[in-house]
Amino acid sequence: MLIADVSETYTDLVTTVFSSTIAAKAWFATAAVLLAGVQIVTAARIYGRLSFLPERGATIARVHRWSGRIAFLFTLPVFFHCVTILGFQTPDTRVAIHSLVGTFFYGVFAAKVLIVRDHSLPRWALPTAGLTLASMLVALWVTSSLWYFTTVRFGF
Amino acid sequence: MGRGWRPILIGGAVAVATFALAQAEIFAPSAPAGGAAVGDFYRGETIFQRECAGCHGDQGKGGGVGPALSETGLAATDVAAAVQQGRGVMPAGIVTGQEQADIVAYVVAISSPSE
Repeated sequence: MLIADVSETYTDLVTTVFSSTIAAKAWFATAAVLLAGVQIVTAARIYGRLSFLPERGATIARVHRWSGRIAFLFTLPVFFHCVTILGFQTPDTRVAIHSLVGTFFYGVFAAKVLIVRDHSLPRWALPTAGLTLASMLVALWVTSSLWYFTTVRFGF
Repeated sequence: MGRGWRPILIGGAVAVATFALAQAEIFAPSAPAGGAAVGDFYRGETIFQRECAGCHGDQGKGGGVGPALSETGLAATDVAAAVQQGRGVMPAGIVTGQEQADIVAYVVAISSPSE
């Protein structure tokens, strides 16, 4: 009874804003992907690339950290619905790819967070982990949100 | 083993935990005992958006060529029959098998009159 209440409460909460839980996921994932774009741009600036951007100092680092934190928060309701309600599914290629990439997403996220804090690792480790994570997020977005917007509807 | 393996090991453990959690589907609606295929409301929602919302509107609230379904008090047998046999311009067998059961579960839920 309690477990059923959790999923019903989640649905009730989400549909106060969005037309369905699927639409909510599509937009939350889109927000996370956009913030991942901010992550890539600011990370490139931190590494001395994209010199047309204003500076390499504390502001860029702060934007990088907070865009990552907010992106992570946007992924949580998606994780909740996909993992705890829908589960691992393989009815077709799109869903199978989505399930597989999604399974590893938070593992790569955890590895990236650890790599950030470990300064003994090679210099290439962090950008590799970051780009891998961003690529996985884009793959997840393409196999869910983009599919939803192009084959179901583009709207809230 | 060097410290360099730590992110990979912990990341791997998180991936395994995620997979286990996904297999458990801990918040998926539990299946009642019974013979026929049991529909899943959440999978039904996805399928409804894909196959039915174009005519019946989001959450079956109408707006397309099909009638509104929400809060109309439909019975599971009626929904299943409409999906299997079609009705009006709605073709028969839009979905079958488990997908049909999922859609029936979803449509019955949204057609229940709100209290």
